Amino acid sequence: MEATAGEIFKKRNSENIKIKLKLYEIFVIHTNELDFFQETIAGVVVVESSGDVRHEGMTLLMEGVVNLQLSTKNVGIFEAFSNSIKPINLLNTSLELVPPGKIPVGITDIPFEIPLRARQAVSSGYPGLLETYHGVFVNIMYTLKCSMKRSFLNKPLNTSCQFFVQYRPQEPTPVKPVRCEITPATVRAAGAGGGGAARASLPQFQIYAEIDSTVCPLDKPLTGKIRVDECTVPIKSIELQLVRVETCGCAEGYSRDATEIQNIQVGEGDVARGRDVPLYMVLPRLFTCPTVTTTNFKIGTLVELSTFCYTLCK
Amino acid sequence: MKELDISYYLFQNLQKQSASKSFIENLSKWSSNFEEADPLLRYEQMKQYEDDSPIESSFDDFTNYSNAWNIRRSTVLNKFTTGEKLTIVSSFLPGGEKTLFRQVSNLNEKVKHRLEQLDDFEEGSVRKTMGLSQQEFIMKINVLNDEIKKAWESEQRVKAFKIGIQCSKMLSDVNVMQFYPSKFVLITDILETFGILVFDRLKEKSYKQNVIKDINDIDPSSIPESAKETCQNWLFKMASIRELLPRLYMEMSLLKCYVFLSKNEIKPTIARLTIMIRGIGNPLVAVYLRNYLCTIAAKLLGKESEEFFYNNLKEFLDEYQQIFHPMMKKKYEVQLFTLDKYLNLYVPAVDWLLFGTLNSNKCKLTLLEELLQQCEKMENFELLLFCLVHAFDSESVIKKAPKILELVQKSADKMVMIGDILTSLGEHLCNAENNRQLAPEALIQTWWKIASSMKSTFHFLQVLEPWIQFACTHLSTQHVNIILRGTIRYIIKCGKPADEFSGNFQFVIKRMLKSIPDVEELFLMDAFMPLVELVQTSSARTMMAKTVLSIFFSRFISVTIEDLIIISSLMRLCCILHDSINAVTVEDESKACAELINKFIQAVNYEDDLEQQLNFYVECRSAFIKLDAVLVVLVYAVNRLAARTGSRGAGVSGVGGGGARWLQRACAAYCFVTVPSLHCALTRAHLYLLSGQVALLNNCIGQAEANFKALVGLIPDIPEFILEDNQRKPTHIKVSGIISDFLSTLLILPDNMDTNCKAYVLSGFIKMIERIHWSKSDPLYYNTLLRILDLLCEMTQDTYAYHIEAVLSNDKLYGSEEEFIQVLDKHATNICQELLVVLKMLGDAKETKKQYNLALELFWRVVRRGDLSKAPMLSLAANLWILSQKLQDSNNKMAISILTALKNDPASQVLLRKLEETT
Repeated sequence: MEATAGEIFKKRNSENIKIKLKLYEIFVIHTNELDFFQETIAGVVVVESSGDVRHEGMTLLMEGVVNLQLSTKNVGIFEAFSNSIKPINLLNTSLELVPPGKIPVGITDIPFEIPLRARQAVSSGYPGLLETYHGVFVNIMYTLKCSMKRSFLNKPLNTSCQFFVQYRPQEPTPVKPVRCEITPATVRAAGAGGGGAARASLPQFQIYAEIDSTVCPLDKPLTGKIRVDECTVPIKSIELQLVRVETCGCAEGYSRDATEIQNIQVGEGDVARGRDVPLYMVLPRLFTCPTVTTTNFKIGTLVELSTFCYTLCK
Repeated sequence: MKELDISYYLFQNLQKQSASKSFIENLSKWSSNFEEADPLLRYEQMKQYEDDSPIESSFDDFTNYSNAWNIRRSTVLNKFTTGEKLTIVSSFLPGGEKTLFRQVSNLNEKVKHRLEQLDDFEEGSVRKTMGLSQQEFIMKINVLNDEIKKAWESEQRVKAFKIGIQCSKMLSDVNVMQFYPSKFVLITDILETFGILVFDRLKEKSYKQNVIKDINDIDPSSIPESAKETCQNWLFKMASIRELLPRLYMEMSLLKCYVFLSKNEIKPTIARLTIMIRGIGNPLVAVYLRNYLCTIAAKLLGKESEEFFYNNLKEFLDEYQQIFHPMMKKKYEVQLFTLDKYLNLYVPAVDWLLFGTLNSNKCKLTLLEELLQQCEKMENFELLLFCLVHAFDSESVIKKAPKILELVQKSADKMVMIGDILTSLGEHLCNAENNRQLAPEALIQTWWKIASSMKSTFHFLQVLEPWIQFACTHLSTQHVNIILRGTIRYIIKCGKPADEFSGNFQFVIKRMLKSIPDVEELFLMDAFMPLVELVQTSSARTMMAKTVLSIFFSRFISVTIEDLIIISSLMRLCCILHDSINAVTVEDESKACAELINKFIQAVNYEDDLEQQLNFYVECRSAFIKLDAVLVVLVYAVNRLAARTGSRGAGVSGVGGGGARWLQRACAAYCFVTVPSLHCALTRAHLYLLSGQVALLNNCIGQAEANFKALVGLIPDIPEFILEDNQRKPTHIKVSGIISDFLSTLLILPDNMDTNCKAYVLSGFIKMIERIHWSKSDPLYYNTLLRILDLLCEMTQDTYAYHIEAVLSNDKLYGSEEEFIQVLDKHATNICQELLVVLKMLGDAKETKKQYNLALELFWRVVRRGDLSKAPMLSLAANLWILSQKLQDSNNKMAISILTALKNDPASQVLLRKLEETT
């Protein structure tokens, strides 16, 4: 049905117009601090038509949006203020590319350049330009749209493309090592509210772990070590879990959702006691992002160590 | 497929060396393909063919390491085999589900089964195949190996990657431990295939057509971004494998891809992997993982990889006690494994780690000292100690031998693998030069203390093997004897029949025989023979006797054995050997036995006591009656003895004359009695002749005649062909040789005066020739007649051409008596007529060449021996000449030489004239 409609449309207009948007660079490095050093989005709009095109002007729109979504399990609680979970606008710049006029037959390239700049009118919760990120509940997306307005009989032509914002590699931050010890006591303390039966069955163990730095660049692996000093039951496996925590919410309340991104085994079987087993994890590029905190949402990563033991036979 | 590969390889090989090597050699190479080889071995060979094909790397270290590893890898494949059923888990093998769900009991299960079957249509469902035999397992592994290549070629790279992961996952399964090392080898081969595929693709991406041979030629800075990106992606992919073991294996298999990114990263990565292996709890899995890491590192870095060998060894030592973890104990006990067998599984891996470590280390002795100290400090050090002793060079080990023995002795009661440690140590000691610092007595004493309290007889004998060699080379015979006595005591005390260990016994005795400086001394030890005869079953004894004899004779340097003890010991062994022969013994076997016994008989020498010597031969005859070859040798030996007596009798003459004559007769009788029991008529004939000649030489006319008569009677029985080495061989030449030898002996044989017949034996022979059904056109026949003719002519002479000193021949006996001459003449006439008949027959049969030869031969005889002054004789000669001239073929040299001889002789001028007239 649509195809025929299109054909009719074509016959009437006896013209075939395509517009395309091409960016020279889809990854844009952004520095928040230096205002005068602005990056630009450069590209070209390609108009291809079989006849002369008459139009009412072409505009370019650059948009940056944070989409928040509530996890299904929390929907019930949050329905009350679901209105407040609306997209946060990070960037909205528009620009007139071509004034109304005529574009000749054939392929026409219209180059453009838009500076990438955070919105000037800073509201209280405005986080500035954030890195592109695709998560489960939080999405940060930047798009560039081009539309060509046409005479009132014709629909406007639209095209869009996405670009990615990345931060400039930063100076190495000071390492912040973290140490922890896991014993039945600490487990009990952590799960204070938990059932008594589970706690009672815990064997005697003492595990020491260390992560070289809690702040680590995304392109470098996460390193550390773990040592099992004592464990009365045989260990089945030691695993390192990378968890992403997305928090959405506002003043009224928030939903906190953790998703496992990567889980790798560092120890298989009953590892030797008192030996430092290295922790080494290459961070998955697509699923991690730097920790971000804003009033409305928060993204963080968390490392969890789990030791599975053979449960004692009962 | 594989078979084809091999043949293809062989074919290439064939072309390479076509010119230099003979065709037969190549043929055997071809045929070897058809011989059924052990599956593991065949796999191994295949691998070697594959390995051989690439151009050899110019770097010695690289080849050294890969060669060293290849040797180890084949020993692993040969050593660690199993009859247990194996399990393979994979989603890329067809036909697994059937085995898994064979037993379907109730409806619910049936439904489940159906669903599972439906699931199977989807790609990637994991199937478990159980109950595989070792060979089937290897086959499946090969299928997977091919599958990887296939998947890769069809652009299904992720599938190849998944197969790799699944394979490496299999290595976490230590059920059927016995097979684990072999499984490791098989699976790492797959991983290597995968590694090579990835590497080659990256290489292709980076260089297109420019083929770069060596890893070292790759410069990371010249690699295009896209290739780097791909490489990085692969490495990321590896790093995100969830499970530890597959992740480590896969990372290792792709280790060499780092050269595309940065060469500096390789070493830190290896170091990182080294410590990451700590996370593997199962010590067996971990140590083989280390093994693989080192192999990869060695391939990549050559000499530089040695530090990693050492690091991994250190890591292994730090985790050493994990090996004895109760969990592991439970595991191997479930599989009915003993501790020492279990520990043996570690040996190849640890040995490999030590190999690299030792290569790098300049001062081995210090390292050994250090490690021994570590041994001293820890519990259950046997595995480490064994590996140390096994891997270190002899020089260092020998220096530390007392220390090692002390260590063993201290904890001997709770230690396993003592046997292996001591064996290995013993082997090192055997390599010892005559070192002054060595205190062999002390070492042997300590060793004996440990060894004599060992529980397993099998291990005891194993240990004994090198140590006895050490004792033989470094200690006196008394010491060795003491050890042997102790051994006998030990075996008796252990309560098991010695036959169970006959193989080991044999090894021990072999070592002794090979290593003792003077072989004869062995028999002088009073414990040696009892030890040899400790085994009871006849087959084991025979083997033992054979071993002892063959090695004894191969090392025996002097020509004769005179010592009575040695003779009787050897006699005993030979008897054992002989008694083992029965109707079903294969020919080669009895041939080998006979050869050994013959060596013995020929070596025994009683010097002047000839009677004793003859007695010995008599004893031998009764002992070795089953072997013809031995009897033949005995007859020869006795004849030699008789000849020796004769010559001595002549020399001393008179003094020992009576004794000597008696002995000569005894010898002759011995031969005459022994020969008939032989099977082969030809041999018999030969021996009759020989014995007759020797008897004649010793002037034992009666015995000689008896022999000759027997020979004459035997000639018709000689078959036309005899079987020799399974080939039919004509006897003609040999028979004619025997006959002419016999006839020339007959000339000097005096006639038997008891019979009225003149030229008794000769007449008998002529009669026999008449009776014999030889074809008349057979050269053997007419040549024999010609020879008889010669003999008859010679016999008519007044004085014979030769004599035996003491023997009165017919010339002296008859003095050309008329009657005697007439008999001879009659015979000669008959034979001449017979020859003419043959001549005619040959003419009829158109056998011109034979006829020509015979005519000339006869002509020559008539001319030389006949009285040409008589007309018939002259015309006979002329006719023969004409016949020969008529037949004359191209080769008439003989006729020409006869003619020239005649021309020089004034007596034959008449004949010449006659000949000229006729022609």
